[in-house]
Amino acid sequence: MKFSISREALLRPLSLVAGVVERRQTLPVLSNVLLIAGGDGLALTGTDLEVELIGHAELDSLEAAGSTTVPARKLMDICRSLPEGAMISLALEEGRAVLRSGRSRFTLSTLPAAEFPNIEQSKHDAELTLPRGVLKRLIDATGFAMAQQDVRYYLNGMLFELVSGVVRVVATDGHRLAVSESSAGVEFDGSQKLILPRKGVLELGRLLDDSDAPITLVLGPNHLRARTGGYVFTSKLIDGKFPDYERVVPKGGDKKIIAERSELRQMLSRTAILSNEKYRGVRLYLEEGNLRVQANNPEQEEAEENVTVDYQGASLEIGFNVGYLVDVLNVIGTDRVLITLSDANSSALLEAVFEGDQETPATLGSKYVVMPMRL
Amino acid sequence: MRKILHADCDCFYAAVEMRDDPSLRDIPIAIGGRPEQRGVVATCNYPARRFGVHSAMSSAQALRLCPQLRLLPPDFERYRQVSAEIMAIFQQLTDRIEPLSLDEAFLDISGIERFKGSGTWMAEWLKARTREVTGITISVGVAPNKFLAKIASDWRKPDGLYVITPDQVDAFVSAMPVGKLPGVGPATAARLERMGIADCQALRQRPIAELIDHFGKFGRRLYELSRGIDEREVKTHRERKSVSVETTFDRDIDDQQARCTALAPLVERLAERLDRHGAPSIGKLFVKVRFDDFTSTTLESGGLAPKLDNFVTLFDQAWQRGQRPIRLLGVGVRLADAALERQLVLFEELWDPR
Repeated sequence: MKFSISREALLRPLSLVAGVVERRQTLPVLSNVLLIAGGDGLALTGTDLEVELIGHAELDSLEAAGSTTVPARKLMDICRSLPEGAMISLALEEGRAVLRSGRSRFTLSTLPAAEFPNIEQSKHDAELTLPRGVLKRLIDATGFAMAQQDVRYYLNGMLFELVSGVVRVVATDGHRLAVSESSAGVEFDGSQKLILPRKGVLELGRLLDDSDAPITLVLGPNHLRARTGGYVFTSKLIDGKFPDYERVVPKGGDKKIIAERSELRQMLSRTAILSNEKYRGVRLYLEEGNLRVQANNPEQEEAEENVTVDYQGASLEIGFNVGYLVDVLNVIGTDRVLITLSDANSSALLEAVFEGDQETPATLGSKYVVMPMRL
Repeated sequence: MRKILHADCDCFYAAVEMRDDPSLRDIPIAIGGRPEQRGVVATCNYPARRFGVHSAMSSAQALRLCPQLRLLPPDFERYRQVSAEIMAIFQQLTDRIEPLSLDEAFLDISGIERFKGSGTWMAEWLKARTREVTGITISVGVAPNKFLAKIASDWRKPDGLYVITPDQVDAFVSAMPVGKLPGVGPATAARLERMGIADCQALRQRPIAELIDHFGKFGRRLYELSRGIDEREVKTHRERKSVSVETTFDRDIDDQQARCTALAPLVERLAERLDRHGAPSIGKLFVKVRFDDFTSTTLESGGLAPKLDNFVTLFDQAWQRGQRPIRLLGVGVRLADAALERQLVLFEELWDPR
């Protein structure tokens, strides 16, 4: 194997692929990236056995086709620190990978390409195409609510529900829940449910941008494969039953508040400074036309803020983890937000308020459910 | 300016034994488990220390160094009684006491007017009173903060008294080798050495940014400690964070024995201990396994009840990490945070009912 390639052509696919590689590996070959040089360019593969990403780069010239694996992070760090516009040549010499650029030379260890594991290709049941931007907005709108290392392993990921032309995603950590859906540009018939693990969601998100370029999702019984812009992404799925989220989306809360989103977000973030660092509880006092928020910490420091809101009805005092509220206000895309409450022990529902011409085909329908804290 | 006193009993368990049996006074003794049960030395007296015996050493090793060593089994009930008497004496001086163990405590003596407010006189009174009432000698350090008070109590051990006044702090700290700083063990000391830092004088020359770069959050603490700064308060009550039991086997056992015979009595003892602590609510379960090569692993999981089959499941996973004969086995629970319990949950049915 011997080829040359410009630093810029190599760097972006290499850093995306290296992102999949875990720092701590049980199997040495898993900290490597698989390089296959051939007539149609360079293919790069990184895997942690759960998520696999194949990237593609154009070569400047190919002297000898071939394949090998080299340490992913070291290769990336070397490329990143070479000067802009550098030309890189890489050759396999006596079992080592020799990288040359200008007056620099690096000799990297290799492991045979044959040892590199690939995620078994399973039969596929369905295929779905949608704009990259739509998928990105869905993931951005809900990803923050995924659980992390929860024993209820099926919460450590995102539920994808595909029903005739609609993609719905759901994430929850058991304290709060985010659900978002879109039908914009979704080509799909049939119905399918799958749970993509947390790492798969995060890595898939890194491949996406706001463009309308299509991404194709191939759905199998145990895998999801995504193809877009020269990348092939494969992730194992979580085999488990996602809880019935529709049941916990509250219906019939009688206290409806409309607030300016960014004003509310800023005042909550300020109040959070003096909340208990660990539990982050704040008290909300709702009365006609006004919302007062109060926080204090073990040092007896105190914060109090008031904000004008559009609300008529009975007063209510309710506590929340302020982080959960701020997370939602960060991703709601509209100027105003609708909050529906019923009592101090029942969940809050937060939704975007679309006004006039804001509603476009790309609009997401999102709902956020946050459970309170007992005060 | 705060005034902190650190009191530390001199070889406490051994001192209690020698008090109750004066014939032990001048011969080397150690308190600990039998060598054939793989015991370790908990405490030893000064005659034993002259042979190189020290605490945490295996009893077998201690007997090799000092064949005439008298090895006594610990009698925690008696030590607890003596400890309570000593703490009661401390209590006469101040109620701002943070006990660190049976034989060691911090006292916040800032603003105390007795003894004309003199830390030295208070320390002298504590030492005399403790000896008079309990027959135990203590070493005392007085300083403007906890870290220096603890170093001071060690300075003239045994039966020591050392005071670091605020205007002595600077000179005292700057001459101190970095290994004396709390949190700096052999590994950190070696890293500092490689950076050309052997004492606090050298440590002070380094900018805080560099220390944070090398040591993360601990870098800030090093920066402060090297200047004699330690803002930690004397904490009068401590929250219990976990309850656990463990046992070292006379002979290594295999995974099958652990699963079938060893875990059940441990889980039973844990249940008793939990009852004694008023059946607190449980956050996570954990098992601890130490293998015959002394590597240890701990595995924990939330949302489970402290029942035998759950511990067996955890054990199976922990065992996979070493797959060697087992030397020690422990089971325990991390207690739930009272405040976290206040967060209400979606999907009630997904939480393990207890």
